[in-house]
Amino acid sequence: MILSLMEQYSDQLDGIFQALADPTRRAVLGRLGKGPASISDLARPFDMALPSFMKHIHFLENSGLIQTRKEGRVRTCVIEKKRFAAVDAWLSEQRALWEGRTDRLEQFVTTTRTKEKSK
Amino acid sequence: MNPSSNPELDLTISRVIKAPRSVVWSAWTNPDSFEQWWIPAPAKCKVSEMDLRPGGAFVTQISEDGGDFMPHLSGCFLALDDLERIVFTNSLVGGWRPAEQPFMTAIITLQDHPLGTDYVAHVMHKNNADRNTHEELGFYDGWGTVVEQLAKLVERQS
Repeated sequence: MILSLMEQYSDQLDGIFQALADPTRRAVLGRLGKGPASISDLARPFDMALPSFMKHIHFLENSGLIQTRKEGRVRTCVIEKKRFAAVDAWLSEQRALWEGRTDRLEQFVTTTRTKEKSK
Repeated sequence: MNPSSNPELDLTISRVIKAPRSVVWSAWTNPDSFEQWWIPAPAKCKVSEMDLRPGGAFVTQISEDGGDFMPHLSGCFLALDDLERIVFTNSLVGGWRPAEQPFMTAIITLQDHPLGTDYVAHVMHKNNADRNTHEELGFYDGWGTVVEQLAKLVERQS
């Protein structure tokens, strides 16, 4: 399924995969997948000067994968879900949703049990 | 009864969960517990109805970033076998009334496993044309995982 999608959307995918080829940008997208965040929050986990970090943000913004907006002195980044539409095959999205639920259920029952045992 | 399978429209998630079947069952069927894992943080889940019997309503709401609770899942249980199986659909709502925007039936099965519980979610979908509907209902839910999976794919290829 992924192969046929890649042929179909190869141009769009080039930009996306280029953006994803870098670990910092992947981490930023992974974080933004959970919800919007400010530049300073996004930069915090990285041992990197702000100008270097901003290059990654600009790359992601220029490739259309994220949008940024400034409110007062804070610039907030948001993932651009539509840009990922080429990649997000419908069923794999469903699968991700159920995988996530199963991960959380597993974590919930195993951590609850650990707590009970330690009581 | 084994569900029919269509690889274009169905998905199956299997997982061995290191906890007894009764604990997994309780995490699924106790609304307070269910709310803890059904939707990824920081979004919050509220179970409005979880009437655990065939024809019983199954309704959840979602709040993103502390905002108002919005409709999330609105469905109906079809079968419940204690500690073994939960079947629900969003093709019907409580009391078997046909739903507005049906697209899936889910069969959750729990079996004993030497390490705990063999957990299987088999989910059958109507067709791909309901994509937009689905995006409204569940896109947020799986999004972080989609990105992670994509990243893994790229890492393998590079």
